[in-house]
Amino acid sequence: LELSDSQIIERTLNGEPDAFNVLVRRWERQIYGLTLRLLGRDEEARDATQETFLSAYRNLPKFRGEAKFSSWIYRIALNICNTKLKSRSRVIISLEQEREMSGFELQAETEDLGSPIHRQQVARAVRRALQGLPSEMRQVIVMKEYDGLKFAEIAEILGIPLSTVKTRMYTGLAELRKRLEHLRDAM
Amino acid sequence: MSKNTNDNCDRHEMLISYLYDEISNGDRLEIEAHLKDCLACSGELAGFRSVRNKLQQWQVDELPGIRVVSTARESPRRLMDVLRELFDLSPLWVKAVAGLVTAVLVLAVLGTHIGVGRDGVVVNLDLLRRSGPGDTSTHDRSGEEFRAQVKSLVDDMILESERRQQNETRAQLVNLESQLRDSHSADLAKILTRIHEQRTMLHTLERDIDRREGLDLTDILFSSTVGGEGGAPASQSGSD
Repeated sequence: LELSDSQIIERTLNGEPDAFNVLVRRWERQIYGLTLRLLGRDEEARDATQETFLSAYRNLPKFRGEAKFSSWIYRIALNICNTKLKSRSRVIISLEQEREMSGFELQAETEDLGSPIHRQQVARAVRRALQGLPSEMRQVIVMKEYDGLKFAEIAEILGIPLSTVKTRMYTGLAELRKRLEHLRDAM
Repeated sequence: MSKNTNDNCDRHEMLISYLYDEISNGDRLEIEAHLKDCLACSGELAGFRSVRNKLQQWQVDELPGIRVVSTARESPRRLMDVLRELFDLSPLWVKAVAGLVTAVLVLAVLGTHIGVGRDGVVVNLDLLRRSGPGDTSTHDRSGEEFRAQVKSLVDDMILESERRQQNETRAQLVNLESQLRDSHSADLAKILTRIHEQRTMLHTLERDIDRREGLDLTDILFSSTVGGEGGAPASQSGSD
């Protein structure tokens, strides 16, 4: 029988530190995906994931269980990503720059839709388009699209009203639509 | 009936809720009815669906391989485990001394008499023997001699162990020095090669500049139409 997150936390706090590794195995893929999509750089995302779990482990006694563990660890990961993003020079890529840079992706027109090469080119374009968005929009889009969180959960994690989450989602998608319109849909 | 093409339709939140299927039944009916009449919103909805499709092309499959070091809250170890670990980490001479001391203690408990005399080391294994009052002086003397022998033996072992450790350290240092020398030589060779390459490049550039400065406008015009940039023949630029 698989233990719930709160049962694993209880065991960890009761002197079974190895139990925490079960939580790491359970959540590392999601957290790594989140940090990679927010930061856009593999190495930085790995560091952020490591820091997230270390921070969670150290602060486990403070976890009261009022929120879900997933929300709690997402919040930690977002804070770490925000710190890393703030330490970078602030570069928001404009739509014009995006179009200039993505010129080579028009080659995708010659590829079969759904082919691995086409998918890679689209993935690369998506990665860059996401990086061009302001981080508050990127956070919402990543948590919704890739982690399948409900809008209410995103609002809880970010500590903002539900309507703000939806507005950011709308604005972010509208921006991405402009940035990615040169790519055809893969069916 | 004319359809709305106004981009300023303010049903953004409802559109997003509908797109992600997080909408109440009442709102669903309302937005579906609206979408039939509003070209702006239906176009936006189609565009967003296309964006979602593209976003899903970026999947992350690899795992970061995270390891959380859990030393902070380790359960307390038993005394025996600590002693065993300490013994395993100790140098050989410490183990030998510990073994000898243990053996002597065991023999002492068993009442064994060990003496060193004219016949060499004499061990009388007499289990649970209790000596009488008249034997005290003989015992004291032989005990002192035995202690002196043990001390000398332990001193020799310590000296031998220290000597061996010194030799090992010296050998390691020599090895390390040799590795460092090799590494330095390799680095030096790389640097020299790079300097040589840079120097060659610099010479080529200097020649190129000299040649350009020596040319007049007619030469430049003529060479650009005949031989491309600079017009230098291959044999000229690569003659050195």
